Amino acid sequence: MQMVAPEEVLKNEAVRAYLFRMIGEEGMSLLEKFPPEGEFSDEDLAESTSINLNAVRHTLYTLYGKRLAEYRRIKNSETGWLTYLWVLRLDNIDNCLTEDTEAVLEILQAREEYESMNDFYICPQCGLRYTFDEALNRDFICQNCDQKMDHFDNDLLSEALRRRVDRIKENLGKFD
Amino acid sequence: MTEIEDEAIRLIQSTPEGILQSELWKLLNIDSRKCSRVVKKLIDTDMVDRLEYKSDGIKTYLLKAKKRAIDPGLLMASGELLPCICCEEECSIQDCPYLMDWMYQLAIDEFSEENSEN
Repeated sequence: MQMVAPEEVLKNEAVRAYLFRMIGEEGMSLLEKFPPEGEFSDEDLAESTSINLNAVRHTLYTLYGKRLAEYRRIKNSETGWLTYLWVLRLDNIDNCLTEDTEAVLEILQAREEYESMNDFYICPQCGLRYTFDEALNRDFICQNCDQKMDHFDNDLLSEALRRRVDRIKENLGKFD
Repeated sequence: MTEIEDEAIRLIQSTPEGILQSELWKLLNIDSRKCSRVVKKLIDTDMVDRLEYKSDGIKTYLLKAKKRAIDPGLLMASGELLPCICCEEECSIQDCPYLMDWMYQLAIDEFSEENSEN
């Protein structure tokens, strides 16, 4: 089993942001304080890190769902009690990021297409954006504010998104 | 990358279970020797894995595209993570305000990168 020290993984700002989105502040705190070697029960972890037991459990199960943590179950032969001993598997972080990126790539591509295929108008008061057809149907008057719409130049937004989508696709080795 | 290497990697990537080398040269319409050179290039550039495989008792290779790890920096714009990652909101691709904000950050990043290059 290839182990990766959490502090190595957590050095990367983007990886930190990703994990933070997944497990929140207490989860990050658990990763940072997770003892470097061995396997631990949720209760051991809660005690050694001073993080609330429920938060520890929640984080471990979220990480487990992403294959970033795993457990071994042992049964006490006298009491029949089950104990789950946890280890981190942050060596799976690349797979995890790649899978999540592949899952959202379609969304980004769809948005990119929408931005590049449409001409937009915007209400200067409330900021609501309309496609040309929507604006035309309303005589270029905002439905919320009765203000005359302005043309909205989305070239920079659209181009920036296109470039980033291309870089992600290239990075993932995907071709059209 | 030559045109034929490009076509080869596309074919291999489009079949997640892999392609037999003995099939690939037929699909690419090239001879097996040329195919070996193309495959070697793809292995050397770490794009493909080659596994030994027996088909009807004949030894060939199964070619599988390597899954590449994403550069996580590509999910960031001005220090903000792409909002679609792990998003639990109902998705409205065309007018998601979080995605719109991120696109503004992205445009600022791209624009300032370009300015600093010039």
